[in-house]
Order: sequence, then C-alpha cells, then structure tokens
Amino acid sequence: MYDQLKQILASKFQIDPEHIAPSSRLSDLELDSLDIAELALVMEKELDAKVTDDELIETQQLDSIAELASRRQAA
Amino acid sequence: MSRREIAVTGIGVVTPAGVGTAETWRGIRAGVSAADHDPCLEGQPVSISCRVPGFDPVALLGGRKARRLDRFVQFAMVAAAEAVADAGLDPRKWDGARVGVVLGCADGGPGTVEEQFRVMLTSAPDQVSPMLLPMQLPNMLAGCVSTEMSARGPSMVVSTACASGATAIGVARDLLLLDRCDIVLTGGSEAMITPLVMAGFAQMGALSRRLDEPHLASRPFDIGRDGFVAGEGAGLLVLERKADARARGGRVHALVAGFGASADAYHVTAPHPEGAGLELAVRAALTDADLTGTDVDHVNAHGTSTPLGDVIESDVLHRILGDHPLVTSTKGVTGHMFGAAGAVEAALSVLAVEHAAVPPTANLTDLDPRVRMNISREVEYRPLQVALSTSLGFGGQNAALLVTAP
Repeated sequence: MYDQLKQILASKFQIDPEHIAPSSRLSDLELDSLDIAELALVMEKELDAKVTDDELIETQQLDSIAELASRRQAA
Repeated sequence: MSRREIAVTGIGVVTPAGVGTAETWRGIRAGVSAADHDPCLEGQPVSISCRVPGFDPVALLGGRKARRLDRFVQFAMVAAAEAVADAGLDPRKWDGARVGVVLGCADGGPGTVEEQFRVMLTSAPDQVSPMLLPMQLPNMLAGCVSTEMSARGPSMVVSTACASGATAIGVARDLLLLDRCDIVLTGGSEAMITPLVMAGFAQMGALSRRLDEPHLASRPFDIGRDGFVAGEGAGLLVLERKADARARGGRVHALVAGFGASADAYHVTAPHPEGAGLELAVRAALTDADLTGTDVDHVNAHGTSTPLGDVIESDVLHRILGDHPLVTSTKGVTGHMFGAAGAVEAALSVLAVEHAAVPPTANLTDLDPRVRMNISREVEYRPLQVALSTSLGFGGQNAALLVTAP
C-alpha cells in the first residue's frame, strides 16, 4: 500500500520520489489543504480506500496513512 | 524628466508563433500562419486552430506548479518570467507593495470547467476536483502572477472580451500615472480553444470554414476571408515610469504614450456599422498622447479576418489617420488569441517601433477593394515613431493603445 501511495504522490502530485519516505509527513512534502483534498479523492478512486481529508491531515505520516488505507480497503 | 512618460521595459510572450519574444518575433516577421488541424477539436464543426507550438508547462514551470494551473495561467506565468527578466528586475529585491499586476482575459479557464463538468456527469459531484475553482476563476490570472512575483500592490483582471489585453495595459498605465504603483506587470492571457467554446463560436458563424487549408484560413483584409481562426497565448509587459527606469539604468523598449477606451453601446456582438465606438477609442488615445492621426506611422490592426469587421476597421483608420500608415494584422500568423490578442499585439507594436520593422499580414494575396488602407504584405523596414494598436471586443468594448519610440 505504501508503494502505491508513493506512486500516486510521484505521478499525480509531481513530487520527486527521492523526497518521499515512509516517515515523510504531508506537510514535509508541501502538500496544502487543496492537495490533500485531491489526495483523498485519488485514493478513493485508485486504491478503493475511502479516507477523508481531515483524517489525512490528522494522520500526516505516510506509513500511517498507508495502514489506514489498507484497513479502509478491506472494509 | 516627466513622470507622465510610461515606459515598456520588459516583454514576454507565448504565442502560436513561438514560446518567447525572440521566437515569436521571428515567426511574425516570417508571416507564416500557425493554423493547423487540431486533434482536440476532432468531431467539431470547426476543427482548426492556432496552438502554441511545443508548449511544455512541466518543463517550463515544474510539475508541482504546472499541475495546479489552468493553461491560461500557465501561459501568463511563463510570459511574466520572461518579461521581468527582460526588464532586468529581480522580484526578490523590489518593493513588492509598489508592484501591481493588471491582466486581461475573456474567459478564465474553460478547459478546466469542461473537464470537471464531465467528471461530475460521468461520475458524481463528490468526485469533482477541489482545484476546479482555483484553476478556472479569471482573477487567478493576476492572483497567481502576483504570488509568483511577490507583487503585493494592486492585482486585478479586467475583461472586455477580445480587447481585454489592451484594456489591461491601459489600466496598468493609469495606475502608474496615479502613482499607485512604481512597476506594473500587465497584458493578457487566454486558453479557450476547448470543445464547448469552439462549438459556441462555430454556432455564431464567426469561424473560418477553410478546413481543408487551415494555413490559409486566417487572412485579414483579403477578399477571400471568411472568419477568424482561434488562437491562444499570452503577452506580458513590464511598465514603469520612464524616469524611474532610466534612474535604475533600465532599458526602455518604447513608451505607451496614449490609451483610449470606449463602448459601441450598440449590439452584443455585431460591430457598430460605422465603427463609431472604435473611432472614439482611437481619438481618445490620440488626445491622451497629444498626437494627431498624421503622426501615426504604423497600425497593428485588430483585423480578425471576418468579412464585416476588417472593412469597418479600415474605414475608421482611414477616416482618422488617412492612408499613409502601414497597417498589419498579425492575426494572419497567430489567429485570434481573444483576451491575449491586444496584449500580444501591443508587444508586437513595441517590437515594430524598436526594430523599425512592420510585420507582414500573412495570407494577404488579394486585398479586399473596400479596404482603403495600405496593408503590409512583406516585412517592411522603415523608421517608426508612432504605432497604434486597436482592439475590439464582444459587448462593443474597444481599446486603442499608442506606442512611441523612447
């Protein structure tokens, strides 16, 4: 799941993959509220994981977001 | 030195003739039309347009920035960077509170609107991008350039349809004359070659139907013209008071010596049959510049290649200026860039004066006998002191700019 998330951030959000790590926080990647709202949409569409933008802002760290997405995917 | 002399110190353009001033000026002088078949308009009644060749927003702006900007703002960001660099200014060093941004566009970001409307219809409202509004609002044109350039003075978009770019330059000049700013980035940008917009223009009967010979379709003042070809792009100028520019050792390309604006108050789209509104705007610009019609050496005409408009415009020019100025319509090359047209054509007027060269009118082979002005066919080199650029917009809104040698 983390790898898929990384792939989305690199391709859709044009973030340099070298700057993306499991411990990266959304704020480290300079994603603002509009990016995060869009990320929630893309995760629903491409990962079939419904996570709200508020949850993304609260969770922040990519490995934790990936875990959350995995749980939602199973749901 | 008068504080009323307003100088053009920087130029940046993105046009169907090329990305950047050098490439555009080369293409304009070559006089070869940029019109071609447009794969994005496949299945449309009119499927030709003048696109900016090889415009790569990711390479020019970086992926992070480019993905969040509609094409009309991407064009302006690229042109603004060129204009500011050309002026020898550094946004990290200027007093941003004294730097304004006044830009024009007719339609904002219809490409983004159409794309997201499709998402809503084929998927659901909660799948619409949160970037829809920040990308498509017309005022983002100035908002994004202000942000990029740390320009914290007055920032606005003016909209007078196809006169928007010229109107913006006039308003920007006024801000300098009123001492509200020391520097203004001004001009226009447009990216409205989209299926819905083009279907609308086609329904109006405004577009050329010379679909088998797209490169011959935009032919201002030619007897065989049958409508305009849609173009896209941006033109940005850096304006400063000439005294300020000289004091900082800046180069002055030319002066914006006069501005006139008017309304036909006649019809929503048809030009006034005698061009009364355009005449008012041109005369106002001459008065503003303290010049007369005989002073004008060169006109970059609105000349969209429509059957009616080109004749009315040439009548107005003949009435006010006489037949001595050498007139061109660069829309033969670029097509009609809508809200960017007036700004790009003002930039081309500046270059014409600076380089003493009148660009050709592409595709002019048989002059319409009703056109009484002297229209350029080849590039002509001659000293130019005063150039006039005219712009007319739907809604009957007109603008005229006078550019003079510094």
